[in-house]
Amino acid sequence: MQEEARPDAALVGLENVPHTGEAIGADGLLVEPQAEDFRSAKLVPRERDWFKGAVFYEVLVRAFSDSNGDGTGDLRGLASRLDYLEWLGVDCLWLPPFYASPLRDGGYDISDFRAVLPEFGSVEDFVYLLDEAHRRGIRVITDLVLNHTSDAHPWFQQSRIDPDGPYGDYYVWSDDDQRYADARIIFVDTESSNWTYDPVRGQFYWHRFFSHQPDLNFENPHVQEAMLDTLRFWLDLGIDGFRLDAVPYLFEAEGTNCENLPRTHDFLKRCRKVVDDEYPGRVLLAEANQWPSDVVEYFGNAEVGGDECHMAFHFPLMPRIFMAVRRESRFPISEILAQTPQIPDGCQWGIFLRNHDELTLEMVTDEERDYMYAEYAKDPRMKANIGIRRRLAPLLENDRNQQELFTAMLLSLPGSPVLYYGDEIGMGDKIGMGDNIWLGDRDAVRTPMQWTPDRNAGFSSCDPGRIYLPVIMDPVYGYQALNVEAQLNNQSSLLHWTRRMIEVRKQHHAFAEGDFTDLGGSNPSVLAYRRRWLRPDGHEDVVLCVNNLSRFPQPVELDLSEHHSSRPVELTGGVVFPTVGDLPYLLTLPGHGFYWFQLVEAGDDSEPR
Amino acid sequence: MDVTEPHDLVDKVMAELPEWLPAQRWFGGKDRPVTSIRPLRAVVLRSEEPVLVHLVVEVAQPDRQEPYQLLITDHVDNYDATQVPELTGALLDLIAEGAEVDGLRFAHEPDVELQTGLRGRPITSEQSNTSIVFGSQYILKLFRKLTYGDNPDLVLHRALRQVGCEHIAQPLGSITGRLDGHTTTVGMLQQFMPDAVDGWAMATTSVRDLMAEADLHADEVGGDFAGEAQRLGQAVASVHADLERALGTQSANAENIERTVRAMVSRLDAVVASVPELRPYVPALREAFEQAKETPDAVAVQHIHGDLHLGQVLRTVQGWLLIDFEGEPGSPIAERVELRSPLRDVAGMLRSFDYAAHQLLVGQPEDHQLTVRALEWSRRNRAAFTEGYAEAASESVGDPRKRGYLLRAFELDKAVYEVAYEHANRPEWLTVPLSSIARITGEGAVQS
Repeated sequence: MQEEARPDAALVGLENVPHTGEAIGADGLLVEPQAEDFRSAKLVPRERDWFKGAVFYEVLVRAFSDSNGDGTGDLRGLASRLDYLEWLGVDCLWLPPFYASPLRDGGYDISDFRAVLPEFGSVEDFVYLLDEAHRRGIRVITDLVLNHTSDAHPWFQQSRIDPDGPYGDYYVWSDDDQRYADARIIFVDTESSNWTYDPVRGQFYWHRFFSHQPDLNFENPHVQEAMLDTLRFWLDLGIDGFRLDAVPYLFEAEGTNCENLPRTHDFLKRCRKVVDDEYPGRVLLAEANQWPSDVVEYFGNAEVGGDECHMAFHFPLMPRIFMAVRRESRFPISEILAQTPQIPDGCQWGIFLRNHDELTLEMVTDEERDYMYAEYAKDPRMKANIGIRRRLAPLLENDRNQQELFTAMLLSLPGSPVLYYGDEIGMGDKIGMGDNIWLGDRDAVRTPMQWTPDRNAGFSSCDPGRIYLPVIMDPVYGYQALNVEAQLNNQSSLLHWTRRMIEVRKQHHAFAEGDFTDLGGSNPSVLAYRRRWLRPDGHEDVVLCVNNLSRFPQPVELDLSEHHSSRPVELTGGVVFPTVGDLPYLLTLPGHGFYWFQLVEAGDDSEPR
Repeated sequence: MDVTEPHDLVDKVMAELPEWLPAQRWFGGKDRPVTSIRPLRAVVLRSEEPVLVHLVVEVAQPDRQEPYQLLITDHVDNYDATQVPELTGALLDLIAEGAEVDGLRFAHEPDVELQTGLRGRPITSEQSNTSIVFGSQYILKLFRKLTYGDNPDLVLHRALRQVGCEHIAQPLGSITGRLDGHTTTVGMLQQFMPDAVDGWAMATTSVRDLMAEADLHADEVGGDFAGEAQRLGQAVASVHADLERALGTQSANAENIERTVRAMVSRLDAVVASVPELRPYVPALREAFEQAKETPDAVAVQHIHGDLHLGQVLRTVQGWLLIDFEGEPGSPIAERVELRSPLRDVAGMLRSFDYAAHQLLVGQPEDHQLTVRALEWSRRNRAAFTEGYAEAASESVGDPRKRGYLLRAFELDKAVYEVAYEHANRPEWLTVPLSSIARITGEGAVQS
């Protein structure tokens, strides 16, 4: 029977490329592609803490650029746009999964960890992308799902047909569906149990997500080794790191909710050790959609500067920024930052305004959910800001001042900013009239990047009927008016503005690693904070950020007594503001206006920079 | 300046005080001339340059004599040492040491350790006292007009600290002197909240947002305040519950209530004599006050805030705090420390919501749309506040809505007081309390 069923039978489109399960060795193990089979990319010169100051850019391979005219973006297409990303100031690309996949969960259902989804290209194309990016000083990270695989993965196919073979124990099998009853069901809309019966093996298998995504059995040391080897495969090719998806769920234990278990952390420490010992300078970013005080667990031991993930997303900050501007009150932001614990020295938050997926309310604590519901309860425009997929520009009613204010906060609050592709030109989304905005449409924010006013927005040369999603064509956000080419030619465009702000951010390391102090102030509509960084030369780099969350002009008096006699120098224009004196420092801001200043100490005659 | 001897300084200041004192914002006797000023007590806190002297003077005015506290120096032209950072820092150091100088006692609260060597910075916005902020940690309130005995602000803060109240700025120290044989509080050191915004600024931000919307209602706009108002109600109720726990509660008898109502009626009579605009509402007001006697069961009385409004609450990142437990500065101390119904504080806050809602309309041409919006905002946030209060109220106080008559009477009494105040000080604002009185008397009490 084993001879009849090919383990790679469920893989699609990989016939002519190396893939897992092409053959079975004498020991019963599947033959898998090895890094040595491919060329490796040249690395960016090593720099330990590069991620702490990096500007990340999330780009969907499918949506960015199509090199072969088949209507779908691909790795070669993305590589051809790297000059643009370099010009913009991007330091690191974050690519959602581009692995072989049946695409029943946006590519997070991986059917072969060592092959590229054919429509995106090949492993060789990925190495080409890496080389081209690294040549420009741009790093690349991607998502890796540790917790589960697609049911099409040859490991699962082997596991179900050969319980006693080497893969028999790769997944969590059980004779009944009663174990781990305390684990919640994440996708309550589509799944009724965390167990699904497999008629082939005659047992139930465990899955925290969709039933077509069986959980790997991390109790099995071979699974742990196999996943570490998966990391090594891509790291050997030259990748700069991973966003580890769904990390809280790796292990199960009876009587627990099967989340954040100590053994899960133990495994992450193993992953980190592999990186530190064998691939220093590469990063691990945890996807743990949880409260900051819980997420810090994924940085690991603070005494050694962190020994699990280097980075984690700060999820609640994003909806709080929207709430603060709607409320014209800084408290939603000040509160969440006050509740954010210190993180280990070697770590950094990732912060974002938008990404391909949003905060879902079931992921936050009951208290926060009540708070959010109470705050968002009646306002349809506020509801639209959380839990659904919309782009920044339409959320802000295409208001340029607000887009600038939000981006200025993203680039100056503590954490490495993650831009979402297209938001730098203010792209729109595809929310059909009458859609249920709560369920949302995942594709709404995944439309093709708008490069030019030409056919298919310059994204692809294909017949418009073949494009994976139609380009946006409405009068406001349509590609004829809104595209990279047009904005490149206009010095006052959002694109040029964004590039300039990124440039300014990079001139002051205080934005990256400076400590953060909320300056408070008597005006609730003004959020003012200080970032302070001790430069290696012993001088302090002090940056002052003042944001008017209100649509109306506002005054604010700030207590800058610690910086008596300093000169505030505005960072975009270099204008020197009045020296800080005995009185509280008075500033006035236009509606949704903001300032970035460097505070230059009296006697420091060095050029403000 | 070459004044070096402290007593020379005192003489010099005394000579200038008749001019200087009435010009100070915190001077409470601006309504009548100053007849004479005499020094009661001078304590030299620093005898070398710059000299620092703590001086208490008695200000005589027609029909009253009141003691005031001054801190003087030869270092600045106007002698006011509270404005000199180098000198005020010394006060903090003395409190940290627990020093006693010539009968002036500086003390920190038990188990409090203070950081010293901080510069003092005066706060400019204050009305009747003078406060100095040290670093971003502490605030020292110097009471200007002194009342004999322990200041209720300090007494209540201490009591609240003892029961672990979370909705106050923690008291950290005090300065007390002897005045006419009484130990008298002259200063109180508290935790400073650098991130705080007062409730009035928070509420008016929300009102501003609503008024700028042409088409949206109070419950639809982004600047909705109801969530904050509800949490504020919870905070006030929880402070009341803590005061009850710390200092006890009593049951008011019929005679107490009778006396309370009598006071309301006599205030009404006094005010209507000078404000004819109030006349049409007198019968309805009297009836509402009389109805306050019809309470279904015993009314709890206890220590309360006494002068609660949106300007006496602070929003911090940890939530809402109540400040200034001094009571109404205008009323005599005996009345201020009297046990009263917590519903007075609730009523004070409800009035404040009404003011916040209408403040943008004052002095503007009549605009029906904005008036409706203001009313909407007021109703929504008053309801949310009361709801929050009911959620956290102690058993003895209970849901304020179940004592609709009493609550309404307190609110109307407060509004009558406002009528007198606005008539005397801000005639344009008179419409705010008057229209509230018209509305409340027209609507009847909330009874559930």
